[in-house]
Amino acid sequence: MKLRRESHPLVVVGAGPAGLCAALEAAEAGLPPLVLDEGSRGGGQLVKQIHRFFGSREHGAGKRGFQIAEELVSGCLGKGVEIRLGHKVLGFFPDGRLLVDGDEGVFVLQPGATILATGAVEKSFPFPGWTLPGVMGAGAAQTLVNQHRVMPGKRALMVGAGNVGLIVAYQLLQAGVEVAGVIEVNRAVGGYAVHAGRLRREGVPILLRHRLRAAEGKKEVESVLVEDMERGTWKRFSVDTLCLAVGMAPQAELAAMRGCRLVYLSELGGFLPWHDRAMRTDRPGVYVAGDLAGVEEASVAMDEGRLAGLAAALDAGVLDPGEAAERMEEVMDRLELLRGGPFGEPRRKAKERLCSMTGLVTGGAGRKAGIRGRTGRR
Amino acid sequence: MGSEVTDETNGWQEAWEAAENGAVAVMDCHEEIPCNPCQEACPNGAIRVEPHVCALPRLDPGACNGCGRCVALCPGMAVFLLDRRERNGFARVTVPYEMGGKPVEGDVVQVVDGEGKALTEGKILKVRAWGGEAPTLLLTVRVPEEVALKVRGVRYRLIELDEGLEVENAPPLLDYPICRCEDVSLQNVRETLRSGVRSLLTLRRATRVGLGYCQGLFCQSSLREELAAAAGREAWKMGSFRVRPPVRPVKLGRLGGENA
Ligand SMILES: Cc1cc2nc3c(=O)[nH]c(=O)nc-3n(C[C@H](O)[C@H](O)[C@H](O)COP(=O)(O)OP(=O)(O)OC[C@H]3O[C@@H](n4cnc5c(N)ncnc54)[C@H](O)[C@@H]3O)c2cc1C
Ligand code: SF4
Ligand code: SF4
Repeated sequence: MKLRRESHPLVVVGAGPAGLCAALEAAEAGLPPLVLDEGSRGGGQLVKQIHRFFGSREHGAGKRGFQIAEELVSGCLGKGVEIRLGHKVLGFFPDGRLLVDGDEGVFVLQPGATILATGAVEKSFPFPGWTLPGVMGAGAAQTLVNQHRVMPGKRALMVGAGNVGLIVAYQLLQAGVEVAGVIEVNRAVGGYAVHAGRLRREGVPILLRHRLRAAEGKKEVESVLVEDMERGTWKRFSVDTLCLAVGMAPQAELAAMRGCRLVYLSELGGFLPWHDRAMRTDRPGVYVAGDLAGVEEASVAMDEGRLAGLAAALDAGVLDPGEAAERMEEVMDRLELLRGGPFGEPRRKAKERLCSMTGLVTGGAGRKAGIRGRTGRR
Repeated sequence: MGSEVTDETNGWQEAWEAAENGAVAVMDCHEEIPCNPCQEACPNGAIRVEPHVCALPRLDPGACNGCGRCVALCPGMAVFLLDRRERNGFARVTVPYEMGGKPVEGDVVQVVDGEGKALTEGKILKVRAWGGEAPTLLLTVRVPEEVALKVRGVRYRLIELDEGLEVENAPPLLDYPICRCEDVSLQNVRETLRSGVRSLLTLRRATRVGLGYCQGLFCQSSLREELAAAAGREAWKMGSFRVRPPVRPVKLGRLGGENA
């Protein structure tokens, strides 16, 4: 049997804030794309975020994540964007066609241009007991409580005091899970003080310089061993759930398969597709945006999505270059400001290093600019 | 909660004085983060986050009428209302509340500080909701004036702090799987590395790491680190598994055109 074929002038992979904003922008410019996402609701990470978002008005700040998602989705639908949920992109053919698995079966999709906005995956690391039931990523715990309304356990310990760890620990409390504490190897909380503050006032201790040593239990987690790095002593916490919030990494498999050059920037989460300021990769007609292009925040993802949508519309010839330049300038200025402050500074510098390279990053030139690269296709 | 924060930097002194005439916002936000919904929330332009989104919020207590919108919409739950109108040694403090249960006026609650420690017990005087379809509750409690600026929240029950039980002897580090799909142990990987293996692909061939269901998604970075430690190089230079389709599991029949 032959696989069905389809084609579309612009395909967006991922209906998170980046993909949806890219779609909106392209649609407004006259190039309404086809958006594919494997999830059952549009909005990516936002779908399971019940807290109010920071950022500014352009990013829906002050609203809860899932509300921002709903607004983006309805905005897209109103502009003639086709969003197909429950559609997994399985891979790319060498010529750039996509292999997609959806409710209409597996089909081959020929895109005019492609915007990749596949987001990030949670990092994990092995330790004694990490395969016991009850050990999970913070994101998984969040999906359980906020989306499926299932308690992951009665009492949890969170590893990692970055924003994700702090926010998810708070949401576990909201769901009725006791949180024994948040442990963090560093000397300072990595996330925002306001997020740490709202957790502390609920009586949850944030233990700095504490290292996870082992999860213990016969059939599932019964306790967790933690090392107090200052005193050199060990502690045992009785919990049935251990959540890891130890960072996210760009989900770059599809970009790699598409032949995009990957570069390594630890400030942005690891390997990510090289791109210029307008989110073009080194492959013509392939754009990236959001956490895939460096793990940051939803506000940044939205603006990067807008840039990718504008660039795709410009390159497809449907957008007047003057108008495109003006819009892009506005969004780039805003991005610059979003990456201000002590938290954004390292990311801003890393992005600058990345984008300062024009065209394909070659080994020597890349090294000079402090960019570590490798090609995706090997 | 702020001993290191001076009144000049956050306008608390002014707010304290203005609160004699009624409710006024007090902001506990002292980091340059990309955030400004408090400014957007205020109908009176009393809060400015300027010149850019990462600047610290500044409150003009004279322009604030204590409406509480900023308290509800601040994602950091870092804004409170202070009202010293009673002038009898007691103040009314309004805090944002997003925990479970249905607080009602008259409930007796623990009023806590920034560390979750009880400052006093108090009655909820007022419950308001603000902030669209999924509103935030604003709870007003009455507390002695001297603790008013320390109030950060209310709780229905105090949890006992658990600092963990001290363990006498640090237990030895056991062996454990590094690749959980194929159940390859850390010691197995380290032995293979001792035999001179220096590439991810050879390691995979020798031990089956990364050949399971997750295709190396979970183990790859740990393997890179083990390799890097053995080779005395940086982890990111140790290469990656080649990415092959499908990146998501799919039934073979579907690839053949079936739709079941
Ligand atoms: C707990 C938590 C709290 C946060 N709080 C904030 C906050 O307050 N403010 C803020 O600005 N940011 C916040 N963030 C960050 C924000 O959620 C992310 O930066 C943002 O969602 C990234 O958007 P994105 O579109 O790049 O990726 P995502 O939102 O991850 O979307 C990617 C989409 O791609 C789809 N996809 C991936 N691969 C495939 C495939 N092969 N086939 C089909 N579909 C695919 C996924 O299903 C997903 O829907 C938070 C994150 C977390 C985890
Ligand atoms: S309480 Fe009302 S008037 Fe005062 S700063 Fe907040 S939003 Fe503005
Ligand atoms: S909304 Fe809250 S966290 Fe954001 S800047 Fe204003 S006070 Fe700070």
